[in-house]
Amino acid sequence: MSTMASTSSARAVWDFTEGFVLATVEIEATPERVFQAISSEEVCQWWVRAGVFDTREWKADLRVGGKWSASGVARGNPYTIEGEFLEVVPPRKLVQTWRTVGAPGPAGAMTTVSYVLEATDKGTRVTLRHWGFQARPATEGNGLGWETSFQKLEEVLG
Amino acid sequence: MARRAQAADAVYRAISDPTRRAILDRLRAGPANAGDLAADFEASRPAVSKHLRVLRDARLVVDTRVGRERLYEVDPIPLQSVAGWLEGYRGFWQESLDRLKRHLEGK
Repeated sequence: MSTMASTSSARAVWDFTEGFVLATVEIEATPERVFQAISSEEVCQWWVRAGVFDTREWKADLRVGGKWSASGVARGNPYTIEGEFLEVVPPRKLVQTWRTVGAPGPAGAMTTVSYVLEATDKGTRVTLRHWGFQARPATEGNGLGWETSFQKLEEVLG
Repeated sequence: MARRAQAADAVYRAISDPTRRAILDRLRAGPANAGDLAADFEASRPAVSKHLRVLRDARLVVDTRVGRERLYEVDPIPLQSVAGWLEGYRGFWQESLDRLKRHLEGK
């Protein structure tokens, strides 16, 4: 794998009407290795946003219905994110609910995160979807230009 | 933050209806009263008034009294607020996945 051109950085977009974030990255590591990093205390190594969000503790009962929590500091304030695993399919898929307690994010709002891992010739393609940022399922667009007013979901997997 | 989530809920509730999205699109072209909107959408005036009330409760539109009429206008701020909420998560995941990549690739 080292002889191939380096894979590019992560890309993420959001869709306003549907209320979700979609992110993708290709990593030079096996799906097994990536799965370990997204489902263990290794999360503390990368669930970080410089100056905003720093995950310091991770606890998880890694099975369907098992609970997980991550806590740390966000802009100087302690916070906890917690949820439950909905799907645990190593090394291909992990789905977990996500509820933020304290900053950042909406207290009490339940959202869901899914990771799909696919083996590629360079390593693993990670596709992350974080959804549920709306109270109700979105209805069909009406073609009157609403969608054009906001950032549209780009084709990020092509 | 809880207040922002509540506001976001109200915005999403308001825009979950295609007629209300169409009304917002129409109002982006310029202010209108309930009668104009009812004619544009071939809907009854009470039906349009009900939609306008939901939009007003979500603070997506503001109304001003002009003579005997109420004139409705779009207020872009709540939409920007919800967009900002999503943008925060977008930024978080983009940055985090880059960190995950660097972590696993040992760079």
